[in-house]
Amino acid sequence: MTGPGFGDSGTVWLTFFLLALATTLPRASFIVLGNRVTLPSRVRRALRYAPAAALAAVLAPDLLVSNDVVSFLNPRLGAGLVVLAVASRWHSPFLPFITGMGSLWAFQYLA
Amino acid sequence: MLSLNRLPLTAEFRAGARAGFRAFLPQSIGLIPWGMVTGVAMVGSGLTPAQALGMNVIVFSGTAQLGTLPLIAAGAPLWLIIATALALNLRFVIFSAGIAGNFQHLRAPARWGIGYLLVDGVFAICLEPMLRNQNPQWRLGHYLAPALWAWALWQLSGLLGILFADAAPQTWSLEFMATIALLVLLLPMAGTRPMLVAALTGGAVAIALHGLPLRFGLLTGMVAGILAGFAAERWQPAAVEG
Repeated sequence: MTGPGFGDSGTVWLTFFLLALATTLPRASFIVLGNRVTLPSRVRRALRYAPAAALAAVLAPDLLVSNDVVSFLNPRLGAGLVVLAVASRWHSPFLPFITGMGSLWAFQYLA
Repeated sequence: MLSLNRLPLTAEFRAGARAGFRAFLPQSIGLIPWGMVTGVAMVGSGLTPAQALGMNVIVFSGTAQLGTLPLIAAGAPLWLIIATALALNLRFVIFSAGIAGNFQHLRAPARWGIGYLLVDGVFAICLEPMLRNQNPQWRLGHYLAPALWAWALWQLSGLLGILFADAAPQTWSLEFMATIALLVLLLPMAGTRPMLVAALTGGAVAIALHGLPLRFGLLTGMVAGILAGFAAERWQPAAVEG
């Protein structure tokens, strides 16, 4: 059983293997190689902005684009805004997920 | 992987292990909801339970797993999925450099295992105590005990999420759990102005270019976001943190 968008099983495992390289190589880099190399400050700063830029670039189309059309009135964006409001107000680990899924279902029902 | 029988389980090692475990235990509870959410999101995005379990063990990085799930589910090209994971995880190079000095007496396979186990929370509690203690066995224990605990907690809570999502109907849109998790991760990152500018630019460019083939807008968005962060730093250098 594969869900929407998934290729054959071999492709999935190849993806995991390459993802493992992409996550383990940075973590193991200096531990394995030793402190023979130092990072220029420009690189260190780029590494600091990369996660925020990447997360936002993944998230924005996820929230705003449905069926290749940008839409500001869709259940996902509505639920995303609820999550942002809840997560910035309270620091409960579960609350954003409960309110996020709840509002997604509510908006889907209304739409 | 680490061959534990070769490790020097001396009194110093055990004392370090106890200290590291005790320091990490309170915050390690925070891993449980994240592991469960990641498990739910993997199955909700269309992975089979076996694939989800495999991803949890092989990739072992919440941010990279959650961040690439929407791309995997959308059938994005492999190189773009890997580029995204790199953008999310390259910052670990800095952590790796910070902690590397403690493990240089170990053989290469053990150092690979230590690298695989490196996560934010363990790095945070280990860095300072390991600088203060001169005994290499104490330092190894102080790292390994919390790191292995974090690994076990992540796998167990992930399994719970996988089993739950596998039993839930597909109409529940559980893939949205990944989106919620990414929003919660992004929120504290956008606390300083350059970071906020980087995030807003990355998102805006990805939306503006969403029509391009191969989700090219995503890559352009990431690069534009990083450059915008640099630019914002220059305008307001006082806001930059170390």
